[in-house]
Amino acid sequence: MAANLTRYSYWQFRDFIRERGVALIITSLLLGFTVVAPMRAMMGPNIDQANATRILIMALPQIVFISAFIALNGIISTDRKLGYYRFLFSKPVSIPAYYSQYFVVSLAAFLAVFALLLGVFAIVVRPVNPVGALAFCTLVYLSLGGIAFLISSLFRYDWPILAAVFLGSAMINSLWAERDGWRMVIRNMLPPLHKLTPAMTDIMNLGTVDVKAVIWLLGYSALCFAAGLFVLWRRPIG
Amino acid sequence: MIELNNATKIYRSIFGRSVKAVEDFSLQVAEGEVLGIAGPNGAGKSTLLSLLLGYLRPTSGKVLIRGLEPRAFVQKNGIGYLSELMTINPNWKAQDALTRFATLAAVAPADIPTRVNAVIDELGIGEHRDKKIKALSKGNLQRLGVAQALLRDEQVMILDEPTHGLDPVWTQRFRGIVEGLRRPGRTIIIASHNLDELQRLADRVAIIDRGRLQRLVQTGYDQATDAGGTYRISVAAGAPHLKVMFPQAIESGEGEFELAFSSIADLNSALARLIGGGVLVAGVVPSRSVLEQQFREAVGEPT
Repeated sequence: MAANLTRYSYWQFRDFIRERGVALIITSLLLGFTVVAPMRAMMGPNIDQANATRILIMALPQIVFISAFIALNGIISTDRKLGYYRFLFSKPVSIPAYYSQYFVVSLAAFLAVFALLLGVFAIVVRPVNPVGALAFCTLVYLSLGGIAFLISSLFRYDWPILAAVFLGSAMINSLWAERDGWRMVIRNMLPPLHKLTPAMTDIMNLGTVDVKAVIWLLGYSALCFAAGLFVLWRRPIG
Repeated sequence: MIELNNATKIYRSIFGRSVKAVEDFSLQVAEGEVLGIAGPNGAGKSTLLSLLLGYLRPTSGKVLIRGLEPRAFVQKNGIGYLSELMTINPNWKAQDALTRFATLAAVAPADIPTRVNAVIDELGIGEHRDKKIKALSKGNLQRLGVAQALLRDEQVMILDEPTHGLDPVWTQRFRGIVEGLRRPGRTIIIASHNLDELQRLADRVAIIDRGRLQRLVQTGYDQATDAGGTYRISVAAGAPHLKVMFPQAIESGEGEFELAFSSIADLNSALARLIGGGVLVAGVVPSRSVLEQQFREAVGEPT
């Protein structure tokens, strides 16, 4: 990675926090409130460690999925759509390297936001070990990230397509879960996002994780990410 | 140094419609040269500049900068580029935007504050440095755009409508800045609708229309191609004498006459006759510059 681009990561981090971080915090607090508030009312003020983890496991999946969607949509397409690329890429910068770095910086910022949210959870409910929750956030970001990266490299208006892919694959995986034949082939070709939720409980409890599922999730995403890089390398940005 | 060989760019829609934005375009721009690009709206100027920046690839033909494909050249060296569309994130502050661009332009970290301050001073935007981009006036935004193009000593500069939105004072200053940018080894390309500006700044002007290079005009005086032209002559005294000496002169105002000459030598001998005949000549300006004349002939309409 060129030194100028590495130094630019500070600005990318700042952009993420300002443009998406605030939205992430507000959305997560609102979603979290709808789950945590009734549980807290039901369990009373003295919630033990096990129950606190249970509440977190209930609240976290939907928050992290939606947050990852907010964090990742438009990761490339926004610059194309709004024309920001004109000034950015007249400088000595590789376009694939720029967006690869932004992907990594966004992950760091995404985790920083969730570390903050876990701090809020600790105050409102009870402190829990953040390692499992942050590991799950990382897995969700990385699993969705490659797919979002590819779609954003291909389409200017990527978010409806991204939403359709995420929802479509979730629906098909749930509808055709027990089917075989051509339906199974299609199911296996779609993003394996249905494998995320079962992995969560294991990760949150710092238990044994289904390594095969994690490799499948990350491998699928990595392939999409590589395809996205190829698109950025071959296809002009203008 | 910059070479376009039969470069063609065709845009294709998903419904199969195609538009040739640049067609069979061949041109060489030397190191140290300032090339102007003129053409009516939709002539293909923006596509041509996007090809030079590597934002687009030619459908056929070649575009090379110092032997490299444009994207490879930009990635390695960068280009001092001012876009006609000032597409900078509106939430960035002016000084932060310049610091970001200086960082990406690989200005040494220790030199960034000095360089940023230098271009801010040069373009007179000191009082706006803490304003957000969205709070800047069109003229100040344009000056910021020029400032970011000057952050580094680039070998190639591409300026698209550089004086668009600038007031007359800054337009004049900008011309001085571009004159100062001339140096051996640096190629400057300026796309503009302002023919007068191109006439003053460029060595040659490529007139393009319907995606094709229509004409390449040398802006300086060239005896070999001197075809004269129409001049407006203002006289402070002796107007009746002028009318007698040149009955074909068209009176265009009080003490102002338009006269056509077949060459610069013809103009000079006419002036000598006028002065010798007691006419007090106050001013002589071309009614249309050579470039404007060539542009009209090439494109068939005024700008």
